[in-house]
Amino acid sequence: MLGNALIAYAGFVALCLAMEKHFVDLLGRKPRPAQLRLLRSAGWLLLVLSLVFSVQLRGWAHGLVEWTAVLMAGVTLWVFGLPYQSRLLLGLAAASVVLGPLLAVLAG
Amino acid sequence: MTRKTAGPSLSYRLAVTSRSLAALLGGYLLASMASICIALVAPLPRVDATLTGLLLSFVVYLLAFIWCFACRSALRAWLGVLAPSVLLGLISGLAYWMKTP
Amino acid sequence: MKEGFRQAMAWLHTWTGLIFGWLLFAIFLTGTLSYFKEEITHWSQPEVRRHALDPAHSLEVAQRYLQDNAGHSGTWLIRMPNAREAALSVGYRDPDGGPRGFASKTLDTRTGQPVEARDSRGGEFFYRFHFQLQMPHPFGRWLSTFCAFIMLLGLVTGIITHKKFFKEFFTFRPGKGQRSWLDGHNAIGVLVLPFHLMISYSSLVLFMYMVMPAGIMASYGNDTGKYFNDLFGRNDAPKAAHVAAPLVPLPSLYAKVQGLQPGARIGRIQVENAGDSNARVTFTQSAADHVAYRRSANWTFDGASGALLSQGKPESGVMMTAFSFAGLHMGNFAGPWLRWLYFFFGLAGTAVIGTGLVMWLGKRQLKHAGSERLPGELRLVEVLNIASMSGLLLAVAGFFWANRLIPVGVEGRADWEVNAFFIAWGLSLVHAVLRSGRRAWGEQLALGALAFALLPLLNGLTTGQGLNHSLQAGDWAMAGFDLTALGTGLFLAWLAGKMLRSPKPMARRASRAAKKPSTETAGAS
Repeated sequence: MLGNALIAYAGFVALCLAMEKHFVDLLGRKPRPAQLRLLRSAGWLLLVLSLVFSVQLRGWAHGLVEWTAVLMAGVTLWVFGLPYQSRLLLGLAAASVVLGPLLAVLAG
Repeated sequence: MTRKTAGPSLSYRLAVTSRSLAALLGGYLLASMASICIALVAPLPRVDATLTGLLLSFVVYLLAFIWCFACRSALRAWLGVLAPSVLLGLISGLAYWMKTP
Repeated sequence: MKEGFRQAMAWLHTWTGLIFGWLLFAIFLTGTLSYFKEEITHWSQPEVRRHALDPAHSLEVAQRYLQDNAGHSGTWLIRMPNAREAALSVGYRDPDGGPRGFASKTLDTRTGQPVEARDSRGGEFFYRFHFQLQMPHPFGRWLSTFCAFIMLLGLVTGIITHKKFFKEFFTFRPGKGQRSWLDGHNAIGVLVLPFHLMISYSSLVLFMYMVMPAGIMASYGNDTGKYFNDLFGRNDAPKAAHVAAPLVPLPSLYAKVQGLQPGARIGRIQVENAGDSNARVTFTQSAADHVAYRRSANWTFDGASGALLSQGKPESGVMMTAFSFAGLHMGNFAGPWLRWLYFFFGLAGTAVIGTGLVMWLGKRQLKHAGSERLPGELRLVEVLNIASMSGLLLAVAGFFWANRLIPVGVEGRADWEVNAFFIAWGLSLVHAVLRSGRRAWGEQLALGALAFALLPLLNGLTTGQGLNHSLQAGDWAMAGFDLTALGTGLFLAWLAGKMLRSPKPMARRASRAAKKPSTETAGAS
């Protein structure tokens, strides 16, 4: 389940960065519209991917519940951690894009 | 909802009380009527129809509560919960009369 | 209410939030603790030892005990030990028995004899409190269910009021006074919203028969019992035939169930008419195996012949919906990591309420920052805020301290643990009345910090099962409790520190907001 959690986490971070205000705050430069669109698509894609993995691994009932749970946990960690450890959390998101699917595939 | 005068007026307090009663009591009546109506009218086995009525009744109570404080006057609050209750009651009565030969 | 819809909803949100917030905070906190009620019970009754799980053996032990001690009784109940609950519980109908004519005992699976453990309600106290509120039946349930409705209303009106739901989805700005409190309140509400909505609505579902009987009465008339038979697919056991027939060994039936549903964990076994030719044995699958409650997950056998008579009927879609809500609320299916998430989401819900209460007062306190004392109503809110939040935490700690300090053999010690809870709560209210707001907060939080942080030490000294022992023995429930208590103590200490430090950002901001310069910073608190 950890793999799914990391994928979902990365998805939320992408969606957050897809908002111009947050992009500027966190990455220190102005985004191009294409970048924002890419981040938004990637974000949603990652969230859906984590759902697919979750249901495939645990069935619909447990899968849906656990997906919702890790989603809430991941985004809460991100939002409340951001003012204090933005670099660490961004790094974790970047690593999750690779680590997440890897762990998810190994588990499934 | 703050006023620059010394505290809310009596008419304001009465209006709030009226709306609150409409929401609490009238809302409950409306929710009960809705659950009765669904239980008698829904095209499902009796146990499922009853259960559906129960599950949806809380949504109705919630909407009634919101209505009572969102509408323009306390009178409208009462009308908004009592009129549909009467209507649902009539439909339920009809459905009940049709079910029992 | 001539303002717009949003403003009306904001008004409703604020006032229902205040009036019911204190009680809701208590419900949410004790409810959150309930997700670990078995672990809390384990800590509260350290005498009950865990043994390796062996369902067949446990059944054998239970059957032997019941045959020896309850052979006369028409109904037996057996609750199986599981990964979280070490105890094997048996119960039987006995007019001289406990409340409601049912005697119950906790058995040690190794010796087959009742466990000698200190009398304590353990985690069950918090579980029952969160929906019964220590009130006579059924008032507590009605009140807690109404509170659940108000919580749902609060969530919906909060969503309507929150203009920047998506814009500020990821926004949290600490260190900015009232703005930060609002950010935090919004964030912990929005980010965990699915859980909050689920927990509130499912509370209503769990007590829906009590609070909304109209539908059943309309469609089933006088025969409301039939509704429940239709719903749960119950077949009542036949009356005793008064023909003696020995009860088949329960482990043999357990083996049959395993054949029908491999890997199923059994939660409960009910035996009717034991020792009679009309004996019935019903196995119910553990709630831990499915998210939703499953009426289909039970098997009824003929107790004399061992033949399978029936299996629970499959659920309809509507039933699955209702049973899913019930199952999601209870969270019995949750394994360790998910259970911890349930716990944190519960704390999040508690925090939504707590931050709301603090903000309600904080906003209005700003207007009175210049004056020495708060007007009566605001002072009342302040006292209730303190007593219902830090006071409640002291009450929880008090319960655990009482559990370790009251001597084991004392008559009615379980009741005294509960008394300690309420006495501590009451004293905190008195303290909140006597001390100024900020100081009351600081002192109560500091005391709470000490009380929780010292629990592991108290545990070790009084029972010898402190962290040094439990970590080594792999008793994760015991260790987990002690470590959580320690963590709570540290968190409260940090909070207390913030409260007890003299410069008050709120007062400073307030004196800027008030048009007259205020040199008094020690005033309103």
